[in-house]
Amino acid sequence: MGPIAVRAWPADDSDVSAAELLTTVQGNLDHPYSGYVEAQGTLLLPVADRFTDVGELFGSSTRLRVWWRSADEWRVDRLLATGETDLIHNAQGTTRWRYEQNDADLSHDPDIRLPRTADLVPPEVADLMLSDAEPSEVSRLSAARVAGRDALGLRLRPGARQTSIDHVDVWADADSGVVLRAVVVGKGSGKAAFTTEFADFSPVTPPAERTRFVTPPGADFEFDDVLDIADAANQYAPVVPPDRVAGLVKGPASDRAVGVYGSGATRLIAIPLRGREAEPLREQLRLTPGVREEPQAALVMIGPLGVALGGSGGDGGWLVAGTVTPDTLLRAVRDLYRGMVIVGDER
Amino acid sequence: MRALTVELHQLVRSRRTWVTILLIDLLPTIVAVLLAVTDIGPRPGTGPAFLSAVLTDGTLFPLAALAIVLPLFLPIAVAVQAGDAIAGEAQQGTLRYLLVRPVGRTRLLVAKLVSVMAFVLLTLAVVAVTAYVVGVLLLGTSDAGQTTTVSGTSLTQGQMIGRTFLALAFALLCMLGVASIALFLSTVVDSPLGAALGTMAVLVASTLLLTLDAADVVSDYLPTRYWLAFIDLFRDPIHWRDVIRGTLLQAGYVVVFLGAGWANFMTRDVTQ
Repeated sequence: MGPIAVRAWPADDSDVSAAELLTTVQGNLDHPYSGYVEAQGTLLLPVADRFTDVGELFGSSTRLRVWWRSADEWRVDRLLATGETDLIHNAQGTTRWRYEQNDADLSHDPDIRLPRTADLVPPEVADLMLSDAEPSEVSRLSAARVAGRDALGLRLRPGARQTSIDHVDVWADADSGVVLRAVVVGKGSGKAAFTTEFADFSPVTPPAERTRFVTPPGADFEFDDVLDIADAANQYAPVVPPDRVAGLVKGPASDRAVGVYGSGATRLIAIPLRGREAEPLREQLRLTPGVREEPQAALVMIGPLGVALGGSGGDGGWLVAGTVTPDTLLRAVRDLYRGMVIVGDER
Repeated sequence: MRALTVELHQLVRSRRTWVTILLIDLLPTIVAVLLAVTDIGPRPGTGPAFLSAVLTDGTLFPLAALAIVLPLFLPIAVAVQAGDAIAGEAQQGTLRYLLVRPVGRTRLLVAKLVSVMAFVLLTLAVVAVTAYVVGVLLLGTSDAGQTTTVSGTSLTQGQMIGRTFLALAFALLCMLGVASIALFLSTVVDSPLGAALGTMAVLVASTLLLTLDAADVVSDYLPTRYWLAFIDLFRDPIHWRDVIRGTLLQAGYVVVFLGAGWANFMTRDVTQ
């Protein structure tokens, strides 16, 4: 990523402590910025059709342009060799523009949803992993040059025993505190499972017109009530998951059928799937190398990301995925079946 | 100057030149006809850039045509044309007479290079004009009278034409890189086929390596790495990063291979 000579240029380090740097990073998680990001995932997930985008995000290289004014106003463009798929978020909601399909979809922006391209930019990865990290979990790394800027290094070793992540390395811009590079490494692996970094970066607030979107003449436009399969399950599945699974507490955003448990680098999502959604995924799981067929679920670990699907052939089941150990996943599936509450017919 | 005039004369009077251009021009024309008849565009992410967009705006077809011919057809033609430049004269036994005339070796090399680039320019012009006419006639123009950028914003016709010329200039530069490699090989071997095949081997190897994650460390320096970066000119704002890198990379190939070709040709013992 980037010419060798530029990467080899020595970076100016600072004697700031790990705890101070963590505070700086946490305090600048919504600092405005813009730039060009390259992300590289190595996780080949067993995904059925309705999860295809997630598989691409974590299993391939992604080029992004981002303009971030605030958490309420941003635009992330995924650059493709044959077009673009862009997300524009503003007061209207989140619009997805797809050049090749010539369409724009506006949706509300639910807290419960599948991962999307905007989650891959380094500051968002840092937000996910470091927002509630403790000073005792972090140590300093040498500074590095990222996007031609001095970036101070910080390593997070999550303390939770349920996590499957060994460490997360981030390098934050020495001037703005914005994270410019993030590297996630799973337990038992010396290789990065996921890397994301700016190749061009500016800490200046981008102009407001970058986060406005008008559907081009001739393009299809529609409003989507449902963003993705997680949002659909959350809105319509007639169940409520328990408040705690595998020792992890349900997050405040999980007030309906989908549960997001844990925090930071130790996090899992539990989605109730109907039979027609679960079965293709179950088939994919069976074909995935390294799959474990346990009585309560089929389970596979793809790097630090675990995926388990409860239930049996033809039936629906709980899909549980997250950065937790296999035992934690199985406990989570068991706890979900024991603790879920049926709330009537589909809403 | 005289050597250049002779080369350009030969280029435009050669039947091979026009047959080659016609064949290159034929492929995008066939694609346009098929699109117009079936109204079926490529699935997202599978076809050449802009090919899905031309179904609603035929004025974009010159760009789709560029994306169709640039990866394979055009570089093959350039490799054959430039590979033939010196080696062809040597094989026919005319190189010695050319140099006796007298024509300076540097002038001859420059004349050959300019002739190859004139061929590329001619080809791009024919492809672009044909594609525009075919695109507008068969696929129609946008109802809104404006062109949509890849990022979903609108471009005026003037902006669109300006960016299209930039894209054509970028393609021309990429082909100059190919021509430099072929011209160098043409000064090394006496067989035009050998020079053309050698150039194509370099391009195929480059294209193959670009698909390998293990070759990431060298990918930014491979000759075909930025060829299709011209699509970045149609994003909003223009994504200059790869266009600039592609320009610098091609300039590097031109300097290195033309320099090597020139040094080799200047010191070569021409006996045939």
